[in-house]
Amino acid sequence: KEFVALSTRDRIRAIRDLAMSFEEKKHIRWVLTDKQLKLISFLVRVILRCGYSIRSARQTLELWQGIMKEIGGKFGTSVLSYFLFLKWLLMFNIFSFLINFGFITIPLLVYDPSPNIPPNVSFRGLEILTGAGYFNYTVMYYGGYSNETLIGLVDYNMQLAYFFTIAVYMVLCGIALIFSMASSFKENYVLADTVSNSAWQLLCSWDFSITNERAVRQRKNNLRVQLKVNKTCVTNPLLSVKTKSGEREAETLLVPFVVSLMNLVVPLFYSLFNKFEHYSSLGRQIYALVVRNVLLKMSILAVLCYYWMNVVAEKFSCWESMVGQALYRLVIVDFLFLMLGSFFGEFLSNVIGTRLLPRLGVPEFDVARNVLELIYAQTLAWIGIYFSPLLPAIQILKFFILFYLKKVSLTQNCQPPRRTGRAAQMQTIFIALLFFPFFVGALSIVAYTAWRLTPSEQCGPFRGLNNTFSVVGVWIDDLQEIPASQWVVWIYQNVIRSEIFYFLITLIIIVIIYIFWQVTQGRKQLIGQLRQQIVNVSVLHP
Amino acid sequence: MGTTASQLGKDLLSEYQELTFLTKQEILLAHKRFTELLTKDEKDLPNTRVSMERVLTLPELKSNPFRKRICYVFSTSEQKDGSLTFEDFLDLLSAFSDSATLEIKSHYAFRIFDFDDDGTLDCGDLEKLVNCLTGETDETRLTTEEMRQLINNILEESDIDKDGTVNLSEFQHVISRSPDFVSSFKIVL
Repeated sequence: KEFVALSTRDRIRAIRDLAMSFEEKKHIRWVLTDKQLKLISFLVRVILRCGYSIRSARQTLELWQGIMKEIGGKFGTSVLSYFLFLKWLLMFNIFSFLINFGFITIPLLVYDPSPNIPPNVSFRGLEILTGAGYFNYTVMYYGGYSNETLIGLVDYNMQLAYFFTIAVYMVLCGIALIFSMASSFKENYVLADTVSNSAWQLLCSWDFSITNERAVRQRKNNLRVQLKVNKTCVTNPLLSVKTKSGEREAETLLVPFVVSLMNLVVPLFYSLFNKFEHYSSLGRQIYALVVRNVLLKMSILAVLCYYWMNVVAEKFSCWESMVGQALYRLVIVDFLFLMLGSFFGEFLSNVIGTRLLPRLGVPEFDVARNVLELIYAQTLAWIGIYFSPLLPAIQILKFFILFYLKKVSLTQNCQPPRRTGRAAQMQTIFIALLFFPFFVGALSIVAYTAWRLTPSEQCGPFRGLNNTFSVVGVWIDDLQEIPASQWVVWIYQNVIRSEIFYFLITLIIIVIIYIFWQVTQGRKQLIGQLRQQIVNVSVLHP
Repeated sequence: MGTTASQLGKDLLSEYQELTFLTKQEILLAHKRFTELLTKDEKDLPNTRVSMERVLTLPELKSNPFRKRICYVFSTSEQKDGSLTFEDFLDLLSAFSDSATLEIKSHYAFRIFDFDDDGTLDCGDLEKLVNCLTGETDETRLTTEEMRQLINNILEESDIDKDGTVNLSEFQHVISRSPDFVSSFKIVL
């Protein structure tokens, strides 16, 4: 038998993968264990036991494992996907905070532990909300960082450190998002069934983990309706309501307040419209809602960024810190409004649905709206990293509290979703949305700031330079003195700065894409031929 | 070689860990829940078999539309009465766990859906499957015409060799294109 040829470890894994009853598996295992190999297999078993205990330990240490299981069991996989998304974004922020704190803040704190605050400024409580005042002179914002080379154990160039830390973090984020988007796309779109309402899909995606009897009954009802309905398309003109944020700001907290109020109220209107419009499928309904919300948030962010880049950058002396403060306020007020949103969206809906208007019923957890709010919050953090390196710390706190808040609100106020949503495909759409337009947008804003805008004269690590990118130029000039690093200079001048290189790379990539496309076309033809062959063979040999 | 005392021996625990996809905590939790189903006298006997009715009092299985089929599939009793020993119970949880492979899950899903145990899903099996998922009363069932239409659609999608039934490979092929299956085919205590 094949099992004898494998090593003991593979053998055990292969036995586990057999779809047989326990008795049969045990029998096979004991038959295969040779008496002479008993000693060796004993050692292997000890190693395996260590592996299992590491696996168990990792499971207990993994964040929120028990809560996730509970939510998945009661509410199904589509609601669970929101919480998994939240945890994933939290990891991004933890990583960002660690590298920012480690590479930028700690060297500065070690070199100069006392912040240079003017004598008449002291800490009042209001700073936590506005971010201005005392915080303005600390390492919280861009302005608190020096532009010197710190002399200590090693010569630490703060300018290069700041620039490269942020650049490397953004690039790593982009790569992580691209990989996760591509793998999710491959599993959930390409390999998946392209027919959206196919009967097998509906039957096979019955959620076995739902234990609540009423939820099971509701799902059965909805499944019946979905199985009965004909596949006709009902298109509706998309109602789009776009509003732009105000541009005059008197009080510093007014702008974030208005922005967050719009982000809270307008999507509720969209959900209200949803109840009156008729969609042919759940997918289209969610799609329309998502598109409207994305357009709303993008336009708000676009207006804010335009204001910051064009007006604030000209007017203020230490404008990066100003922008950093504005983003800090946006993050804090957004958090307060998310809490309010939980209150209105879930608690009040529950009260209205159970006491006042029983026809509406207990609300369901609106996964699409909540995920978009998360994406928006993360975009604010990504834009803010350049202007306020410690903003991820606030974001970590915010997401941590938000997790527990949403979990309590979910269990107290909401019921499990009645329709079986297509959780895997929604997950792909959310990751794709996170990447483009939100991450790409944030990256473009930061890149534009670094490339086009003049850093402020009085503060920050890039003072005195024409633009932030020239830091690299200055560094390369310094490197030219040192003969050992000529290769770095060569790479910079002939690869990064030369246009021919990018032209050639683009050409090569286009050719490779064309070749892959042709291979895919060929494989599609092959699949069709193989299907026909199966039919022919089964007819000949019934 | 069964569960005698209320504690599991270390050797037994590691053997269970090797032969199933469950972690140590999951096995211990399963043991706890299983012993709660036993009466006082049964707790001292080795390898007790729990009847299907008692297994179906578990909240995780109580409302599942396929609860009886699940018990029949995982039961190793000669009378084919759906009763489970602790090891059958572990087998069940292992197939429905997070780490089980797609092959295992689709294999057991096929056996659960195969109501007449003949190794293929024919029209009778598909009809019973749809009835399980849409409701048991007369108002909630599909009409004969709707059922026929639905079964035709299903066979058109999945019957590759056009023999009127869905065998295991065709079923696994359809399942592999359903990305929600792995996350839905889960029972966690």
